[in-house]
Amino acid sequence: MMRDAELLAQLGELGGLPELAGYQDHPAQMPAGAPGKVGLLRLGFELRNDRSILADLYRKTPLLVQQALYWDEAMPQLPICMVTSIGGGILQGDRLGIYVTVGAGACAHVTTQGANRVHAMDANYASQVQTLVLDEDAYLEYMPEVTIPYRHARYASLTRIVLPASATLVCSESVMSGRKHHAERFAYDVLSLRTEVRRPDGTLLFTEKLLAEPAGGSLALPGVMAGFDVFGNLLILTSPSIAERICARVSPRFDRAEGVASGLSRLPGEAGLMFRVVGQESHQVRERIRECWQVVREEATGHTLPAEFRWR
Amino acid sequence: MRVLQFGDSTLPVGAFAFSNALESALQTGIVHDVTTLEGFVLAATRQAASLDGVALLHAHRAACEGSLEGVLLADHALLSRRVGEEQRLMTTRMGKKLAELGAKLPDAGMVPTWLDEIRQGRTPGCYAIAHALMFADRRLPEEDAFTVHQYGVASMMLGAALRMMKIDHYDTQQLLYRVNGTANDAYQHSRQLSLDEMSGFAPVFDVLVAHHVGAHVRMFMN
Repeated sequence: MMRDAELLAQLGELGGLPELAGYQDHPAQMPAGAPGKVGLLRLGFELRNDRSILADLYRKTPLLVQQALYWDEAMPQLPICMVTSIGGGILQGDRLGIYVTVGAGACAHVTTQGANRVHAMDANYASQVQTLVLDEDAYLEYMPEVTIPYRHARYASLTRIVLPASATLVCSESVMSGRKHHAERFAYDVLSLRTEVRRPDGTLLFTEKLLAEPAGGSLALPGVMAGFDVFGNLLILTSPSIAERICARVSPRFDRAEGVASGLSRLPGEAGLMFRVVGQESHQVRERIRECWQVVREEATGHTLPAEFRWR
Repeated sequence: MRVLQFGDSTLPVGAFAFSNALESALQTGIVHDVTTLEGFVLAATRQAASLDGVALLHAHRAACEGSLEGVLLADHALLSRRVGEEQRLMTTRMGKKLAELGAKLPDAGMVPTWLDEIRQGRTPGCYAIAHALMFADRRLPEEDAFTVHQYGVASMMLGAALRMMKIDHYDTQQLLYRVNGTANDAYQHSRQLSLDEMSGFAPVFDVLVAHHVGAHVRMFMN
C-alpha cells in the first residue's frame, strides 16, 4: 500500500520537465503544492468472496471518492468509483496523485464526475500523476471524462501502468482544443501527457509522451490537428489473443463529412492496442471511444456495455 | 562526401517502399495540394526530430564513447514509443538494410556487432540508430547525422508524392528546400533532450497510420 509520503514524492517528478521550465513561478493566491492544492487518492479493489469490492480508500482534498457503487446493469459485479474534484477543476499550482490497484481476479471501473477543466493560468502549472497496478486476471476500466485546457493552461500528466499479461486495462484519455464555443481554440500553453507500461518484473513494454505546445504553430499542420478540435486515445492493454479478436471487430473509419476519424494500432512489446480518434466535437470522440470500449469489454469479459445514461 | 552518400535517396534501404502515411493522407483528402503536402511533410519532420532524432543523437554519443549498451538503450527506447506495426516495420526494415550495407563498407566500426544483435533478436534495429552508427563510426558530427536523417524523412515522402499526386519536381524541390531550412532549429532543440523526453503529437497522422494498415488499395508497403 502506498503511503502519503510515497504518493507525495511522486508528485514532484513532473516539475523538472523542460516544457515546464518557464512556468516555475508561484501563484499569488496560494503557493503551488500548498495544503488544499495537493490532492491524493488511493483506491484498492480486491476480490473477496467472489465479489469485487473497494477494499482500500484514502483521499485528500481536492480529490474525492465516496464509495463504490454497482450501477452497471450489464456487469452488476463491477464496482464503480466516481472521482470528484471539489475544486471545480484543476487550478494553477495543483498537484494531484491517483493510485489505483486491482487485485487478482478483481474488476473495477473508475471515472470522473464531469469534464476535467484545466483552468486559465497566469503562474505555475498543474500536474497529475496516476499509477495503475493490476494483478493476475484483473480487469480495470479507467475512463475519465474529457480534459478541457483553458487559455494559458499548463498541464502535465504521467500515467504509470504495471500489469501482467493475464490482466486487461482499458484507459481512455481525450482532450478538447479548449472552450471552443467561447472562441478559445488551442489557446493553452503546454499539454504534456506521458504514459508508461511495464510488466511486474519491470520490463518496459510501451511508453509515449504526447507534447502539444500550440504557440509553436505545429498544431495547425495537416497530420497534427488541422480540421479537428478533439483527440482521444483508448489504450487497451490485454493479451495478444484478446487483442486479435478486438482488431477483427474494429475497422478504421475516416468520415470527412462528419469530421471524425478513428483507427486501431498494435502497440510494441505485444502490450495490446491503441485506438486513436480525432473529431470536431467531443461527443463524436466519446461515441467512437465507447464503441471500441464495448468491443473490448465483450472480448475481455463476455459482458457488454449498458445503455448510456441520458444525462451523460 | 560520406554525408552525401549516406543522405542520398538512392541509398538501398528500401525508403521507396514507404510513404509514411502520405498515401492515406491523400486518399482521405488531408493532403490535396502543394500547401497541404508541405504542412504534412513539415509535421512528419517535426515528429521525427522530437522522437527518432533524439534517439539518434543519444546513439551517436554512445557509439562515439564505444558504448554498445548505450546504443541498445536508445534503440529499445525508440521502438517502445512506436505505435502501429507499419511504423515499426518501416523503421526496423530500413535500419537492418542500412546496417547490412554498413557492415560491408570499410571502417564498419560498431555496425557488425549491432547487426548481430538485431539478428539474435536482442535489439530492434531502428533506422535512426543505424544512421547514428554510420556517422559515429566515421567520426562525422552528430549534427550531420541528425540533419541527414531529417532530410531522408522529407525526401522519402516527396518521392512518394511524385508517384501519387499531381505535382512536379520543381514543386517538390522548392518544398524540400523550405523544409530543410527548419533542420538546424530542430537540431538545436533535440540535442538538449533526454531519451525520456522523446515526444510526439500528431493525432491525425496516428489515425492515418491505422487507416493505411487496413486500406484495400495500397501502392506502398505496410
